[in-house]
Amino acid sequence: MAITRLVHVFMPAAIVMAFVYAPAAEVLGETSRLLYFHVPLAWVSVMAFAVSGIASVAFLAGSKGRFPAAETTFHNSATLGTFSALLATATGSVWAKLMWGSYWNWDPRETSIVILLLIYFAYFSLRSALAGKASRGRLSAAYLVIAMTVMPFFVFVIPRVFRSLHPDPVINPGMKILLEPEMKLALIVSAAAFSLLYFHLLRITNRVSKIQAAMEDLSDE
Amino acid sequence: MIEAILANIAKDFRIEFRRRFAVNVALSFAAITTLAVSLTAGGARLETRTHALLFWIIIFFSAMNGLSHVFTREEEEGTALFLRTTSPELAVFTAKLVFNMAVMAVIAAAVVPLYVFFLNVEIASPGRFALVACAGSAAIASSTTALGAIVARAGGRGSLFTIISFPVVLPPLWVSIKATQSSIAGGGAAQSIVFLLAFSGALVAVSYMLFGHIWIEE
Repeated sequence: MAITRLVHVFMPAAIVMAFVYAPAAEVLGETSRLLYFHVPLAWVSVMAFAVSGIASVAFLAGSKGRFPAAETTFHNSATLGTFSALLATATGSVWAKLMWGSYWNWDPRETSIVILLLIYFAYFSLRSALAGKASRGRLSAAYLVIAMTVMPFFVFVIPRVFRSLHPDPVINPGMKILLEPEMKLALIVSAAAFSLLYFHLLRITNRVSKIQAAMEDLSDE
Repeated sequence: MIEAILANIAKDFRIEFRRRFAVNVALSFAAITTLAVSLTAGGARLETRTHALLFWIIIFFSAMNGLSHVFTREEEEGTALFLRTTSPELAVFTAKLVFNMAVMAVIAAAVVPLYVFFLNVEIASPGRFALVACAGSAAIASSTTALGAIVARAGGRGSLFTIISFPVVLPPLWVSIKATQSSIAGGGAAQSIVFLLAFSGALVAVSYMLFGHIWIEE
């Protein structure tokens, strides 16, 4: 319940701050307002993947029903992660067209999001191939754990293969957000709002999955 | 345990030696794609980067045709249940991993001379090129063996193995392409080889931990 209330406060605040409070960036102009939606969406897609991975480990480690909600959590988190990754790609592409002249440039971060999408699509393909099988949860969780193991290797590989076009003020080796204070605050509020929205939607989808499972059990009886 | 591993390795190699299905399919695919590339290139001189790309694309898709077979065969022939009851899961995984490594070694050993012969590649550092081919092939085999088991449990459907393997195999594929390009041009490849071996080690370790969950029926 607390998350729902926080979403109701943070989401409108993030939208108002993105369009009214934060100033337009000097070079990027009004298009810089995309930052407050594109970056949080990309952040949520990565966080959803991490939650999926952790829930998969919990599901496999507690195979005797210690974590009954783990299977629905990793699956629903992957679904939400896919949507946010698609939206992050769409907003990023629009911005790339405006700033760099083309929708797609194979920048390291564009490449990272494509790999994340590939993993999600592979996961859903596997999941649909396993429909109706008792081992579906275990096998799809095992795949997510393998995919999560591979992710740190991309951090090493991608910057060596593709040259970055993304601006350093937002993403840099020092891990500091080098923006004007108003822009920084708007970005932090927006990231918090999207994170809360993700957890809110995860909770709702988990409840829907639980109700669906209960209805299937009833119809079987 | 060691006896069980050796028995499983001997069994897998004996079955493959009788039918030669996995190796034949992978080698035929490798030969056809190499010839197709050579024919369509029409004798044109390609850049080192293009050579490296084509070489690893041929290896990757040839591997995808052969690597999942070691598990799908057990499920198709109904021997998986027997294997589950008679052999410890770690022995089964180790044997399948060794088998897949051998399949990859055969694929690499066939593709390298075919590619060099048909596409007229001049390799400045043949030793480094061979090392990269070995390390890259080992990385592909070690990262896809557990995935082969997952696909076999899913009914071994069509191209599912390629779909789920591609994101996992991408890091070693990229590094292998870069290192191959460098070795063709005469540059160093030590860092890439270390990366490929580290990747193989990490994926094998995780696969060992997960294999019980993939293999055992509840």
